[in-house]
Amino acid sequence: MSDMFAGAEEHLKSRHRAERRFRWMGRLAIAFSLGFLTIMLFSITILGKGALSRTEIALRVDLSIEAVNPSNIEATSFNKLVRNTLFEAFPEITNRGERRRLLGMVSADAPFELERQILAEPSMLGRVQTIWLTASDDIDLFEKGEVDITLPEDYRRLKDLELGWLQTLEADGQIRSVFNAAFFTSGDSREPELAGILSALVGSILTLTVCFGLSFPLGIMAAIYLEEFVKKNRWSDFIEVNINNLAAVPSIVFGLLGLSILLGVFGMPRSSPLVGGMVLALMTLPTIIIASRAALRAVPGSIREAALGMGATQVQSTFHHVMPLAMPGMLTGAIVGMARALGETAPLLMIGMVAFIVDVPQGFTDAATSLPVQVFLWADSPERAFLEKTSAAILVLLGLLIVMNIVAIVLRKKFERRF
Amino acid sequence: MGKEPIITAKDVNVFYGQKLALNGITLEVPRNKVTSLIGPSGCGKSTFLRSINRMNDLVDICRVEGEIKIEGKNIYDKDVDVVSLRAHVGMVFQKPNPFPKSIFDNVIYGPKIHGLVKSKSDAADIVEQSLRRAGLWKEVADRLDEPGTSLSGGQQQRLCIARAIAVRPSIILMDEPASALDPIATAIIEELIDELRQKYTIIIVTHSMQQAARVSQRTAFFHMGDLVEAGATKELFTSPQDERTQNYISGRIG
Repeated sequence: MSDMFAGAEEHLKSRHRAERRFRWMGRLAIAFSLGFLTIMLFSITILGKGALSRTEIALRVDLSIEAVNPSNIEATSFNKLVRNTLFEAFPEITNRGERRRLLGMVSADAPFELERQILAEPSMLGRVQTIWLTASDDIDLFEKGEVDITLPEDYRRLKDLELGWLQTLEADGQIRSVFNAAFFTSGDSREPELAGILSALVGSILTLTVCFGLSFPLGIMAAIYLEEFVKKNRWSDFIEVNINNLAAVPSIVFGLLGLSILLGVFGMPRSSPLVGGMVLALMTLPTIIIASRAALRAVPGSIREAALGMGATQVQSTFHHVMPLAMPGMLTGAIVGMARALGETAPLLMIGMVAFIVDVPQGFTDAATSLPVQVFLWADSPERAFLEKTSAAILVLLGLLIVMNIVAIVLRKKFERRF
Repeated sequence: MGKEPIITAKDVNVFYGQKLALNGITLEVPRNKVTSLIGPSGCGKSTFLRSINRMNDLVDICRVEGEIKIEGKNIYDKDVDVVSLRAHVGMVFQKPNPFPKSIFDNVIYGPKIHGLVKSKSDAADIVEQSLRRAGLWKEVADRLDEPGTSLSGGQQQRLCIARAIAVRPSIILMDEPASALDPIATAIIEELIDELRQKYTIIIVTHSMQQAARVSQRTAFFHMGDLVEAGATKELFTSPQDERTQNYISGRIG
């Protein structure tokens, strides 16, 4: 150390300091991004967990033969039955306005719910039964502690009158909270307490199936052809530049293309996963092509030389040796593209997948919506109870994304080989 | 038949774009002998080697003029199929490049794509015979299902030689086959080359003049795209005719 030139030690120290500084900056950057991610997931989960439960109100319903004819259940007006039941439960209320508020305590679906329960178990007919019916969204929010009752009455949707009834019901044990299976088994609804994610989830899965089915084979074929077979000249450069530009085109433009060509010229079914998937495939294609070409380029040239040098044809060399090695990279590209397609809303708006879809789509040509569009629709709804639905839908979207990623990782592990 | 040359190159020019990489090469390669191509870096010896099995076709900007005849047939004729040409002219590369597959699959790949494998026992025979000829059989006989990439560098290179032999070529091109190997592995490869000469015609590109002197019967010296001098290895090294050859072998250029 003694023969080091003057100031060398000082210089060395400052180099080590720079090193340490950089390491800390890196750690800080990672901590920041992880922190924000955690905050985001945490807040969405907190907001969304409410969607997993709903409130039910027990009513003593008169199911005697006079009220419901067991041999002709369908002929009954269940609407009336629910009305009468509620009015009998609170006989002191006679005012029209108050009676309407009383009816608003249960969900608009309550008569149908009652009918379904009776049809499912006709043996309960013939006498007065206690039946649990879904409460309306305002009641539900109150039971979840989302309503601030310290506010002046005018600022609340839930008035003191209803709070009084709730107290009575609660005192009698006529209020309970149950797991909201309907959220996962039903489609959209104007009533927040009835709205479910299934139609959007199925819509997303169908759309992505079409998207993957089109863009993955086309993308890797295009990439293989461009990378392994085409001679480099002005044309190949032109194509390359255009593919790169295509990857940067705003997604709504693809939606416009779908609207004018697929719907306008070819008259394909509006709002369908088929058209949505095709539009998203167009959007995803450049991403997959670019990633696949990069993966192919990363395969060492010596593998190609080895195969071709043995007398393999270009196709044999590519499919026997190059493609298996590039497969993990191609799958990564595909999953990045798919993840983007899954979260895409704008192009789907253009082709009508923003529709209000109650029924679960049964096929690729049925009207459907997708998860991000559903999130957008719910977030746009005035009812406060849609807030928890929105967050829960986002969680479902993230869940689907995680499932897709896991599938990709498993496939990648399967294909991965050492050099 | 044994006397006439197996390969005759006549006035071969090779261009990379506008650049002339080989300038009017005329060379005869005798059958069942080892011919080495020597010369300083960038002299065109590898380019010449790669025009013999048309690996240069893979380079988009590469253009070959003149004719190279193998067994009297110009391989640059329109009716020549590069696939069967490359089955006939095997190649071993500078860096061992086994496929990321098992040792067995590495050797059997060539025969399989050329339709030489009729049955399972056929395949086993071809693999054993090829590995024996490449002097690798004893080392790998009990682990044929292990990846070829798990072998040592020298073993990998012999695996590549076995892989080339398995297609039953008559000519084997070797592009500096030992330059990535240690001296012991190099010695084994050189010994192997000497044995292979009984059945195959071998052309080897090498940086090392000692290696050329040890393994080859004939030597061609390339310099800046020209074939300066070719002849029996002993004569070329003891009494070179051209000044450039003399300078190179005596270590003054290169």
